[in-house]
Amino acid sequence: MDTLKTVLSVAASGMRAQGERLKVVSENVANASSTGNSNGEDPYRRKIISFQEMVDRDSGASMVEVDGVRRDDADFQLNYDPSHPAADEDGFVKVSNVNTILEMSNMREASRSYQANLNMFETGRSMRSQLLDLLK
Amino acid sequence: MKLGGMSFFQLASQRMTWLGARQAVISENVANADTPDYKAKKVSGFDAMLENADAMQGLKVTDTRHITSSGETPNGVRVTADEDAWEGSIDGNTVALEQQTIDAAEVAGSYRLAAELYRRGHSLLTIAVTGVR
Repeated sequence: MDTLKTVLSVAASGMRAQGERLKVVSENVANASSTGNSNGEDPYRRKIISFQEMVDRDSGASMVEVDGVRRDDADFQLNYDPSHPAADEDGFVKVSNVNTILEMSNMREASRSYQANLNMFETGRSMRSQLLDLLK
Repeated sequence: MKLGGMSFFQLASQRMTWLGARQAVISENVANADTPDYKAKKVSGFDAMLENADAMQGLKVTDTRHITSSGETPNGVRVTADEDAWEGSIDGNTVALEQQTIDAAEVAGSYRLAAELYRRGHSLLTIAVTGVR
């Protein structure tokens, strides 16, 4: 297989994975203040995404794919709010274990990695066009 | 290495093959920059590829899914773990994006040089045959 085409597909797999990561980050941020509805019910649990190496059968290149999305086991914080529908008998409401600062840095890193993959894509494409220009 | 037996065009195209394989490995490193336990990879030097090209031993590869006997890709480039990777993170990943970016820029420049040389050689041939520029 054409190696320059491999560059493009590997970079595309990286962009897809980083896009998924950004999606998970935005889900976490959007649900940062989602609580339960009934007494003592658990609120939103933070999602964690992980990547793994995937060897493409056709080109033999190591691409990247999403290994899975898991839930964060960290404890919930308790807020005292007796009038809240999700408050337990002592008046405490569990709030989600999303840390917005952590999500923010995660988002930054995802967008930087996306950019790096996009640059590889661009470079691969320009090399390919130089190769095709030889036919002129 | 027998440079005498090697034509200019063959050299330029081999150089471009090597640079393409190298860029593919760099793009794998960049894509896996956040994969736990991924080790950065690099390709063997161009001189090693030229030496291998003379004596390509081992089994013939007729399908892309075949595994070569000597651990090389079909075009004679050997891919190994990069021992001089700049950093290692807690999750066991050794890819430094800065290093890969520098390498990618260098490869792109060399590729352009090889392509231009190829084109120049071609136009020299045209002059020799037709007598007009």
